[in-house]
Amino acid sequence: MSQIKVTARPDNKLMNRLYLPAIASGLKVTFKHLWTNVNDSNAIDVLEYPEEQPTDITSRYRGLHRLTQRTDGSEACVACFMCATACPANCIFIEAEARDDGLDEKKPKSFFIDTLECVFCGYCEEACPCDAIRMDTGIFSLTGASREDFVMDKEQLLSHKGAFGEEISCARN
Amino acid sequence: MSTSALVVTLVTFVLGALLALLTIPVLVWLERRVAGLVQDRLGPNRTNVGGFRLGGVVQSFADVVKLLIKEEYYPSHIKTGRWLFMLAPVITFVAALLAFMAIPFADTIIIDGEALRMSPLPIDFGIFWYLSIGAVGVLGVIFGGWLSHNKYALLGAARAGSMVISYELPLGLSIISFIITYNTIDFNAMVQFQSGTFFEFIPAWGVLIQPLASIILIVSLFAETNRNPFTVAEGESEIVAGYMTEHTAMKFAMYFMGEYVAMNTASAVIITMIFGGYNLPWVSTDMMLENFNIFALGLMVAVPIVITILIRWMKKNNTVRPTVSTDAGRNFETKVLTIVMISMAVFVEIILIYLAFLSENALAQNIAVTLFQIVVFVVKLMMFNIFFIIIRWTVPRFRYDQVQKLGWYYLLPLALLNLFITAIIVVGVSL
Repeated sequence: MSQIKVTARPDNKLMNRLYLPAIASGLKVTFKHLWTNVNDSNAIDVLEYPEEQPTDITSRYRGLHRLTQRTDGSEACVACFMCATACPANCIFIEAEARDDGLDEKKPKSFFIDTLECVFCGYCEEACPCDAIRMDTGIFSLTGASREDFVMDKEQLLSHKGAFGEEISCARN
Repeated sequence: MSTSALVVTLVTFVLGALLALLTIPVLVWLERRVAGLVQDRLGPNRTNVGGFRLGGVVQSFADVVKLLIKEEYYPSHIKTGRWLFMLAPVITFVAALLAFMAIPFADTIIIDGEALRMSPLPIDFGIFWYLSIGAVGVLGVIFGGWLSHNKYALLGAARAGSMVISYELPLGLSIISFIITYNTIDFNAMVQFQSGTFFEFIPAWGVLIQPLASIILIVSLFAETNRNPFTVAEGESEIVAGYMTEHTAMKFAMYFMGEYVAMNTASAVIITMIFGGYNLPWVSTDMMLENFNIFALGLMVAVPIVITILIRWMKKNNTVRPTVSTDAGRNFETKVLTIVMISMAVFVEIILIYLAFLSENALAQNIAVTLFQIVVFVVKLMMFNIFFIIIRWTVPRFRYDQVQKLGWYYLLPLALLNLFITAIIVVGVSL
């Protein structure tokens, strides 16, 4: 007649329904944590952030962008617009000009990244055929007083250093 | 009215206001700090005034400033009863504040043959005052939720109403058990009863005489203060902020502060009724007054020990790890606070020596005992407040139907049974 399935509760004992023993054992756990931490608050494994900086940033971490250089110090970028096309946030603005030192045909005249728009997805560095744009600076915090401060131009992007030893572009050098 | 009565009245009012209002920022800070420490975090510890952070308690004053300068926003859809909508948080806050005022902070002090009560409201029916005024607080919640014309607020108010019908009966019945046991409705007389002993050596604390009623009282008061595990009137995941949803800035702050004052009041009622109030176990006020020299000597030994432990704890913990470049004035703060604590200890010692050996002034001894009782009261109050907070980070929440089930199916019969047994025993003993 009845289709309702009643599941028996195996822990439906008086001891468990009293709640209080369980609350007492829970209190024991929380109080133990409180007591140890009150007695030695410096032993708590936390990062005192502005004074202590994180040390666990890996080479795959997508930090602030940089433009890589060639061995002669000029930009590796050939202004192919692949990154700007791949960018889902449309935050890369490139203007191209002819390159006359014989290494390549084009170079960016201006290269802006609006980091307020950027979603740090890393598509630009995947799209780049010249290994010219990278996100391996390890910079995770960016501050500024106005919106304009967050728009990185070509010189700023070139001045960022790679945090993991690779300075020169692997594709254009 | 004599001068001494006037002075005592003023002192108790100031003390009541301080204990009820100044504990709000301390409790807010304590809540966040204990939450952090229980979860292996630090909690707020950076805000400071000139390098003085006092463990982070300055953060609460920054929060107050933030709440004061927030935008006061009136929901335009509230057409009727706006004055009550505005008044609702005040009702909750004032009810919690007034309920606190019947708590005795120390034993009745006798000056020139005049007995003066050390509570802001010198009434001898304290428990009834607490029950009646404390129950008004939930009206503010219900008004605020109902008049918000908001489904979340309405649900929150309905849940608050359901809470009231769940806990009020067990609360009242457990308190009746205590009234029968203590044979009084006066908070101060209750504490005096508890400073005695039963079976010659066990302190006559309510929690030892009436364990079942004590548990019911604590559970019901947790429900009354809307603290975990009974936070049903608000719930982030289900009904946003519950009855507070449409209240902004200081209106919200009133509810928020009312909650903490209510918690403080509940702690005070619990320690007064079942944990011996302002007295230490085994030690009654008369004992301290009669053996004042022994009491003073004991205190003279205890104060330096406590201060030493505090200073050592501060020296160890008010530092930063070696990996951190700057200690941001913690060292200086530790030095200044050490000097302040040591000078306070020396001051207390000198006064005690003077009172115990050089002067036999009964009034001064009376006042010293009263001050000691106030300190004991505050320490006990803070310890129970910390218990309230730890419970919050230990126990998950009940659903509101579970609270009703708990109240009506378990607490109410247990309270009735306890009342029955208490009555039989009390009548049997008195025969």
